[in-house]
Amino acid sequence: MNRTSPPILHALFARRRPWGIVRRVKAIYRFFKSVRLAIVLILIIIALALLATLVPQGRPDEWYQGHYSAVVYRLIKLFSFEGFFSSVYFLVPVLLFAVNLAVCTVDRLVVRARNHARRRFGPDLVHIGLLVLIAGGIVTAATRQEKTWQLSEGEEAAISPRYSLHLQSFQYLQYDNGSPKDWISTVSIARDGAPEIASYPIEVNHPLRLSGITVYQSSWENQGILDVTQQDGSGTTATTGEGFQEGDSFWYFADVQRINGVWRAVFDQYKGDVRASTRMVGPGDAIGPFTVKRVSARMVTGLKAVQDPGYVPFLVALAMILVGLGLTFIQKRGDTAA
Amino acid sequence: MTATIALALICLAVVLQAAFLLRRENRRDPLSHWILLVAALLLFATLVDRSIRIDFAAVTNTYESLVFFSATICAVLFLLRMLHATRALSPFVLFGATIICLVLLALSSSPLAPRDIQPPIPALRSFWLVLHVTLSFVGEAFFVVSFVAAIGSLSTRREERRADLDRLVATSIGIGYPIFTAGALIFGAVWAQTAWGAWWSWDPKETWALITWLLYTAYLHTRLVKKMRGRTSAILAIVGFAATVFTFFGVNYLLTGLHSYG
Repeated sequence: MNRTSPPILHALFARRRPWGIVRRVKAIYRFFKSVRLAIVLILIIIALALLATLVPQGRPDEWYQGHYSAVVYRLIKLFSFEGFFSSVYFLVPVLLFAVNLAVCTVDRLVVRARNHARRRFGPDLVHIGLLVLIAGGIVTAATRQEKTWQLSEGEEAAISPRYSLHLQSFQYLQYDNGSPKDWISTVSIARDGAPEIASYPIEVNHPLRLSGITVYQSSWENQGILDVTQQDGSGTTATTGEGFQEGDSFWYFADVQRINGVWRAVFDQYKGDVRASTRMVGPGDAIGPFTVKRVSARMVTGLKAVQDPGYVPFLVALAMILVGLGLTFIQKRGDTAA
Repeated sequence: MTATIALALICLAVVLQAAFLLRRENRRDPLSHWILLVAALLLFATLVDRSIRIDFAAVTNTYESLVFFSATICAVLFLLRMLHATRALSPFVLFGATIICLVLLALSSSPLAPRDIQPPIPALRSFWLVLHVTLSFVGEAFFVVSFVAAIGSLSTRREERRADLDRLVATSIGIGYPIFTAGALIFGAVWAQTAWGAWWSWDPKETWALITWLLYTAYLHTRLVKKMRGRTSAILAIVGFAATVFTFFGVNYLLTGLHSYG
């Protein structure tokens, strides 16, 4: 390590006397308390985040192969751009930034305590809030769990070992122009088998909060039900989203439509990944080895239960950042006025 | 109709400001900010009318967002003109910011922003969304002023004038930053948690809002902590505003995600 090396590297690698370890710690501390480092890390995070928005995240591997040239695809895989925000290339700068922020905050607090300075704790509150936010983000990324159910009226689901949910009714409200206004799943909740909540309407933006678990209105579907007779005379039932293979074709039960008061099933025929045709069948029609006996539909609601231990730190962090920014603004205004 | 009258008034304000700007006396005209106030009130009235019709705060599509943004810029310019006693809020800054307001309002009349009065989809019917959108635009209205002042500080040769403009950039970002943080990031995250159960999902709009916030964070640290003045500081303010514009328009039209509502 020569004399022109950066001080942090010089301090880390140079041969030192026994008290050199103190110097090394001090050098690391000085390195991390630097505002210049903070600015450099912020600019690096900006550049990385910007690049990551150019590549859609979390798609299947085949999607990237199909949409990019071989060279770009290899680069995407090499730098984990398909899931960039959880990759080491993004997390390392964020971690360094968190350390930088923590050291800066400690340093500011120590200096102010030494100088008996009183004011300007707004920025500290913002910095501590950001650290709590990063911690909350890590907890969320590591422990958040979610599960979804599709239920029709009268059905039940166990949302945790203690809580079970019973769907009393499901309503799909529309505006006069036919566009969706709301989806309301009215549920009752039992805890350890005993009734806990008699009736609660779960709506979009109006989730049900239990202790540690939140249940959201997530989706809805007009689920088609198809009763068919097989060639051996036995009956079977299929719902939308299912399908069957016939030769080189796959018949996919895509939807149901009500025509002149009679429900009919819509099947898409796929050859490989390509949709070759669409066919509508009703009672008495044959499709593949099956004869349609009855087509019906029922409304099902999609409910999502989320358990996120990072949510409380997140709320605490937001409150700290809001108060900190407000204080900073008031203090700055006071300084300007003075 | 009220929005059209507001557009005409803003055009009038621009003409008046241009006339004073061309006289090169660095004197602000005595009337245009009052015209902008009337325009702001008319634009807010447009939104109130739409809100009554859809039975919800009318800030849920591109047209309404553009109208709200324009109205907020007019109101911010009026307030700064009335409260800001320094020379920094020069004819150039007033003119430049009013031009941006005019462009936004002209865009609201384009096919990019259909005027149809549509009630919001269920995910948008949230008090948190209203806070998220309105506070984001109030913060961004201050960023508009900072952007024009930064351009002014880069283009002027007079040191005293540059210092005034530099101070205006810092002041407007200093006011806009906490409001933008509260609106775009904090209330946006609370809304996302309430609607979808995930307070952050690295959706392109979220990521670009974060990029914008980080750029202004970098600006504030270079300006207030490192006491940096001049070119670098002004360039950061300009890049910050470019990111603001991309977050609003670019993401909607070039990238897709949770915020693709039209």
